[in-house]
Amino acid sequence: MSPEKEPRHPFESRLTTERAQESLMFGLLRGMTFFVLFCAAFLFWDIISKGSSKVFEGDGLINWEFLTEHPQTLHVIGEGEDEIKLSSSNYYKLKDEKMLNKWGEFRQSDGHDSARRELDARFSRLQNEWSKDSLLVADEKFLLRERENATNKFAFWKEMLTDPKTTAEDFEIKVEEVPGMVTQFMLGHFEKERSRLSLVEEKVTLFRATNYPKIENLSLAHAEEVEMAYLAFLAEIPEAYNQSMSSFGEEAKSSYDEFLQAEGPKEFGRFAEALVAYSAARNVLLGPDHEIENWEALQASLAPFKQAMAVSLPSKDYAYSGGGIFPAIIGTLLLVIGAMAIAIVLGVFCAIFLAEYGKAGKFLSMVRLAILNLAGVPSIIFGLFGFGLFVIFLDWNVSLLAGWFTLAFMVLPIVITASEEALRSIPQGFRESSLALGATKWTMIKTSVLPFAMPGILTSSILGVARAAGETAPIMFTAAYAKRSDLPWEGLEHWTDFFFQGVMALPYHIYVVSAKIPQNAYTADMQYGTAFVFLLLVVGVASLSIILRNRLRKKYRW
Amino acid sequence: MQEAITTSPVSSPTTEEVDSGDPAIRIRDLDFLYGSNQVIHNVSLDIFPKEVMAFIGPSGCGKSTLLRCLNRMNDLVDGARIGKGSIEIHGVDLHDKSVDVIELRKRVGMVFQKSNPFPKSIYQNVAYGLQIQGVKSKRVIDQKVEESLRKAALWEEVKDRLNENAYGLSGGQQQRLCIARTLAVEPEIILMDEPCSALDPVATGRVEELILELKHEYTIVVVTHNMQQAGRISDRTAFFYLGKLIECDLTKKIFLNPSKQQTEDYISGKFG
Repeated sequence: MSPEKEPRHPFESRLTTERAQESLMFGLLRGMTFFVLFCAAFLFWDIISKGSSKVFEGDGLINWEFLTEHPQTLHVIGEGEDEIKLSSSNYYKLKDEKMLNKWGEFRQSDGHDSARRELDARFSRLQNEWSKDSLLVADEKFLLRERENATNKFAFWKEMLTDPKTTAEDFEIKVEEVPGMVTQFMLGHFEKERSRLSLVEEKVTLFRATNYPKIENLSLAHAEEVEMAYLAFLAEIPEAYNQSMSSFGEEAKSSYDEFLQAEGPKEFGRFAEALVAYSAARNVLLGPDHEIENWEALQASLAPFKQAMAVSLPSKDYAYSGGGIFPAIIGTLLLVIGAMAIAIVLGVFCAIFLAEYGKAGKFLSMVRLAILNLAGVPSIIFGLFGFGLFVIFLDWNVSLLAGWFTLAFMVLPIVITASEEALRSIPQGFRESSLALGATKWTMIKTSVLPFAMPGILTSSILGVARAAGETAPIMFTAAYAKRSDLPWEGLEHWTDFFFQGVMALPYHIYVVSAKIPQNAYTADMQYGTAFVFLLLVVGVASLSIILRNRLRKKYRW
Repeated sequence: MQEAITTSPVSSPTTEEVDSGDPAIRIRDLDFLYGSNQVIHNVSLDIFPKEVMAFIGPSGCGKSTLLRCLNRMNDLVDGARIGKGSIEIHGVDLHDKSVDVIELRKRVGMVFQKSNPFPKSIYQNVAYGLQIQGVKSKRVIDQKVEESLRKAALWEEVKDRLNENAYGLSGGQQQRLCIARTLAVEPEIILMDEPCSALDPVATGRVEELILELKHEYTIVVVTHNMQQAGRISDRTAFFYLGKLIECDLTKKIFLNPSKQQTEDYISGKFG
């Protein structure tokens, strides 16, 4: 605007510094608001678009598996267009099905009968080889070896005890340490025997109970007594060995019969187990070097059966990326409900005291200051506090109860401040008229303050719900499990156990799938799906509180 | 001013009537303080049974404070205390340690400046006082609610909508509901703290009629800013100024022939 140009009329608009400032500020304010709006919109769009694809994928409208299953490993079979995504339970179901089919086919074929005849023959020979007579022979050999070995060792130890001074010089130790050293040698020897002679566990235990005190308190006389006892113990063994060997043999036989009869493939496992136990027992007696042709031949005869059941279903596995988040949904609901119940009870009582009973003064302002400070404490500190107090000091372990109290303490400042505000907003007239009608103070609070303050208190609790549901840090030490296969109501021995179990929780689950496992496209799916469900859940719980609040508001209006 | 008194429906009682018998409330040499701020100075006053006593005076003269002393509502205020003197009802000092303030407030009811029914139904409002006293019987409560509403001249207007929210009533009705609520606990004395200041003239008239009706059964103490109102309804009037009782006498005498200059100045509108 050039100064020489005359305005057409007194109100003509012209560009001044104030005007420029005005439009600049307007643009700035609007720009910032829109920027915030854009960020929020992008965040929600991101979560909703990506998350809903997980929740609404599959054949039906809703991916029920995601909402009702436990988290599982994801098995991806095939590649590209043909890839099939299966959670662990479905994957193994499919595998079992295939095995069963293959086994069925094998049973129908000619190969089965010939393989079975061969196996029968081999097994009979194996049993003969391990007959009672051959075992007795083996027993005697074993015993002889054992006696010789033991006698030599005892002779050596006794020698050390007879002349402790020389021993001490040899080993460069003090004289009084010699018996202790011998004790260690003897204990080591018997420990080894114990695992080697596991077939006669009961007798070994008995020997330990009677003789170890003497070894601990070692002298030459004691060493001799222990030696006598040990030789007597070895003499008793053969009978016990024979008994346990025959029971192993019978077990192997019955497993073998079952195995051949069974339709399903799983019985093979039990048979193999029995054979392993059998052969382990045999190795003790006959020694690892004792090779039996029959054993290898038996393995060879089993091969066709094994092959008939082997099904390969190659897949790429991704931990935590399959299945669902049902336990986490339940856990979060439980945590929120319990924590809010505790926080509201504690908070409202505290607020009543502050608003109605507390006399203005130093104490009250200190309490207020403390509460305000509490609101500023980072949530991880609450987590550590809960871990220290509830989990360790009170010994509640990682449990619902510890999580409830930790979360409750975290939202307490919000609840107290807002409840106090709500109580103070009740007209003084209600209090006065109640008192003037002869009410005691508590009656007054109960009948003509608290009911009318309830909508306000619930409003504050809505803020608390969102916070309690959303925080990861306070629960990661106190209540959350990364993975738990039981639901909270499963496997309880006593009803109180309910409170002392950890749970899965949505925020912690998001943390685990996004920070604790290798990342890939499949885990990202899981993260967004969980975040989406989590948002819905918080919105749901908050809406419930809002509805409740509005109802109360409608009821009490003034 | 004279008109206000001649149009008053009350025939002011003679001196003999008023002075006969023991006073219902006896205030002696009362000093009252909020913290270190003395608001009542050496007030002595008798209020007799079944009379209407009006407290008048400019704002901040201590009349409301004195009224609230009579059922110890001042206990709610931090730092409020009696300096010296006593208030006696039936010869009992209200501030004696043995006095149960709850029982006192049942005997000495109060109606506030702002009508403040609870945001509940009309019925529940009147029944409130009985319910907190532990009266369970529906029959007794029903009966008492009706009786109180009749006494408060509200029954005919609300009998068909007892279960509706009290906030649906007009201002005057709300105030009469508050009076009914007070009557339900059967007090002897009713304190009214500017009961009509928030009401329009018609509603005010209804409440005033009610007060005249009630004085046959109850002792009533009214604080009012409205001097004409004091003239219309009260038997005796006490004039306060700066925390001191200037004059207390038959209403007629105060208005027609006050014995103190200050009273005359206030009545005639020179200040206040």
